[in-house]
Amino acid sequence: MNTLLSLVPEAFETIVRILGALLCLGGIGICLRLLFIRETDMAEGRFVRRAHVNLPTVEYYKLMAFAGLLALPVAAALVANYHVFEGVHEVSACGQCHVMRPMMNDLRDPNSQTLAARHFQNKLIPEQQCYNCHADYGFRGSLEAKMDGYRHLARYVTGTNTEPIRFRGIFDNHNCLRCHQGTAKFVRVASHHTVAAHLETSEMSCLNCHGKAHPSRGQRTPGSPDYERLMAKEAG
Amino acid sequence: MAREVQSANLNQTRREFLGASGALGLAVAGALSGWGALEVLVPPGTADAWHRSVCRYCGTGCTIRVGLRQGKITDVRGDEDGHNQGVICVKGSMLVALPYLPGRLTKPRIRTNGHLREATWDEAMTLVAEQFRQAIQTHGADSVAFYGSGQLFSEESYTANKLFKAGIGTNNVDGNPRLCMSSAASGYTQTFGKDEPCGSYADMDHADCFFLMGSNLFECHPPIFERLQRRRRLHPTTQVICVDPRRTPTAARSDIHLQVVPGTDLLLLNAMAQVICADKLYDQDFITEHVRFSDGDQTVTFEDFQTFLADYTPEKVATEVGVSAADIRKVAYLFARSPATMSPWTMGVNQRTQGVFLNNMLSGLHLITSQICRPGATPLSMTGQANACGGVRDTGALAHALPGGRLVTNEKDRREMEELWQVPPGRISSQPGLDALNLFRAMEDGRVQAALVMCTNPAQTLPAVGRYRKAMEKCFLVVSDAFEDSETERLAKVLLPAALWVEKEGVYGQTERRYQLIQKLLTPPGEARSDLQILVDLAGRLGHGDLIKARTPEVVWDEWRQVSAHSKYNFAGITYTRLRQRPGLQWPCPTEDSPGTVRRYVGGDDPLVTPGKKVEFYGHPDHKAVVFLRPYVRAPEYSTAAFPYILTTGRVLEQWHSGTMTGRIPELAQASGPARLHLNDQDAYREQIRHGDRVEVQSRFGKITGQAVVDPAVRQGVLFVAFYDAKLLINEVVADHCDPVSRQPEYKVTAVAIRKLTSAA
Repeated sequence: MNTLLSLVPEAFETIVRILGALLCLGGIGICLRLLFIRETDMAEGRFVRRAHVNLPTVEYYKLMAFAGLLALPVAAALVANYHVFEGVHEVSACGQCHVMRPMMNDLRDPNSQTLAARHFQNKLIPEQQCYNCHADYGFRGSLEAKMDGYRHLARYVTGTNTEPIRFRGIFDNHNCLRCHQGTAKFVRVASHHTVAAHLETSEMSCLNCHGKAHPSRGQRTPGSPDYERLMAKEAG
Repeated sequence: MAREVQSANLNQTRREFLGASGALGLAVAGALSGWGALEVLVPPGTADAWHRSVCRYCGTGCTIRVGLRQGKITDVRGDEDGHNQGVICVKGSMLVALPYLPGRLTKPRIRTNGHLREATWDEAMTLVAEQFRQAIQTHGADSVAFYGSGQLFSEESYTANKLFKAGIGTNNVDGNPRLCMSSAASGYTQTFGKDEPCGSYADMDHADCFFLMGSNLFECHPPIFERLQRRRRLHPTTQVICVDPRRTPTAARSDIHLQVVPGTDLLLLNAMAQVICADKLYDQDFITEHVRFSDGDQTVTFEDFQTFLADYTPEKVATEVGVSAADIRKVAYLFARSPATMSPWTMGVNQRTQGVFLNNMLSGLHLITSQICRPGATPLSMTGQANACGGVRDTGALAHALPGGRLVTNEKDRREMEELWQVPPGRISSQPGLDALNLFRAMEDGRVQAALVMCTNPAQTLPAVGRYRKAMEKCFLVVSDAFEDSETERLAKVLLPAALWVEKEGVYGQTERRYQLIQKLLTPPGEARSDLQILVDLAGRLGHGDLIKARTPEVVWDEWRQVSAHSKYNFAGITYTRLRQRPGLQWPCPTEDSPGTVRRYVGGDDPLVTPGKKVEFYGHPDHKAVVFLRPYVRAPEYSTAAFPYILTTGRVLEQWHSGTMTGRIPELAQASGPARLHLNDQDAYREQIRHGDRVEVQSRFGKITGQAVVDPAVRQGVLFVAFYDAKLLINEVVADHCDPVSRQPEYKVTAVAIRKLTSAA
């Protein structure tokens, strides 16, 4: 039973992918069909019969246009967005870009002491390890993160990124505070209270006192002693 | 018909193809312009440009990145590629506020009729030069002095040292490192022949046992404590032993806490040595090859050492130390038997009348057990200030010293420096100058008439400070500082506005022989100048312009690194260009292609070691390190009926030294709160003192009043007060006894009495 349940999200994801693909193909098919409309098809008094329904051709093609140009693309976009937002929850989604391999390898490195690796080693985040600390990319995250995500994609697809990649923008401290704020350990540190305003706006990084989250830029620079290890392909 | 349809379709297709192509083009253009727009629109974070730098505060010397936007610092982050691996503390995080704090000095001020009035630079410097010249002419060169700081840049300390010792002709050059590192410097020099440690922070990643004595790493060097914790997480069997009269946050996180009676820890070290010798935990081969024993005057044998230790069995000393004999044995075994033992220490060891002996013995324990010159095995004196090592110890800007480990009393050393500085032989005085306390005592009786104090606040930080404040009033005191209203400035005759941190350029050198560059990123406020500019100006006005030819930071640095090439401190290969490219380099580093030295005296790492040798302590002529027989002497201050408690002082995490900078940053000031008097609950009960009561603390040296805190972390019979708060000027009470060799005062042991004044509201 457990095995079956564990398969459900994967099966659901596959269904979502198939649904999205069908919507896309449907939309493309309808658009192609619309391209081939002849003037005579639109003549007055002609009807199209579909599933026991007789429709005037003009109305029929209007409906097709609505479906092909608006309804299906919007539906496909919604499904695709859903797929993307759900997909980025998974570590494997982040690992699809090779520039993310150092983060993936480090996350699972039992000898690493980065914050990501420590959270992983201590099983503090049992799944969706990337997304849990980078929730901004998810559906409820900020528009800024989406914009930056699109920028990353554009850079990656066009090959205009350079290694080591560098995070641009301000990492939202709420990704940390969501779990840590209010814990006894957090509360008993006097300076957490006095710099609370800076933490709230993310002007002051939690990483300052608590260490790096991932391998440093120096380690991720081609030619560094750690580069080959961090870029090993078994990540993913 | 079929052809018509095809034709019609083809026509349609072409038009539509063009349309589709256009649409596709539009989509691509849209995507690209969307990307382009996002490249502009996505906010670039907290800063537009990032520059590598070094934290302004403690001796950890954290590498940081300073973020600028429109010429203003908008963020400060730990540099992940620095030795601190991105970790800084809350003080470093608040550096962003430092240059913009209110109360900056922007114009020189001259005291007239008891009040400081604004003046021009020319007016102020003319007066300073006139007073210095007059004192030198009337009372001789030794009537003027320089009192510097472990926070000046190396170029500044080097220039001051050269100006006073080779120009003016006095060795009265000292500074606040006398108050914090002097015992470590003397200890290293006696044991290894050269100052500065053999190990590095990198050893923390390999140590199996940490012996923390007199060090509250958690609060005083937080990024280093984080590195220690990283080692423990990766290697959970790592043992941390903390020796401290208080249950500090460091002690609370240690595996073993020896809560010793203040002032007795040489007994502990000797007892550990006794156990190591009696139980044969030493490394005979290493001792034979690399160690010489000495009673301080002459060489003795290992057997003599063991005989000397017979008086220090754990059972004999346990009661006086205040811990059990079993614990002493346990710690001795852990120290000797762990695969790699590392001992970081700080002021609890240095600020003692037996500070040098303690340093000797700590290094001695590492030497007899061969817990040295291997990854993770090393003694490591943690620096108090960010540039006490590089700026003051290495440049020899202390009353007894000359650059590169030379001594003013050694004729060969003087001749070498005179040649390097191109001054006539005999220019440098053979008389050691006045160390910190003697310097201020000389102000009392007029032997020192004029003094230049740079980047430090002795009116708050000297022990028994009441006496020295009165002395400073008698002297023509010139103070160069960045902020107004420090305790020392209230006594100044002339106040010079100094540039701060990234408002000037220079090198900082911290604990592990690492030199790092601080680049100039900001313009100083108002008319503030760098301390180097002030020294160059003064040199010119005193007629030493020809001596001080290097007048900009990089030129001074180039001169200094070339001078270093003539010593075992060789860092000729550390250029500004290299420092701009990386988070510092560790010396020895003799050539520009040298990667620097992580472990000194180790073959294959230290370029000064004879090729083929695994370990070579080249500081002494016989290439051996010295283990001294150091007898315990009771501290001059001890518990009596009149003064039953022992006062010890220290730091807190959120404040730096006398709080001139951090005390003005609200986030830090609120976190630390005002300083208070911490006493044990049993003592509080005996004295009928409750939490929050106002109490009076009195010693033979002075008295103050403050608010009491009942704190079980303090050992019974001990009173703890942090020294950052000028409103609770604890140094009024602290004794000014000194180590006879290092002349470092004993801040950690003062006998006091406590009296309740009023109850808490």
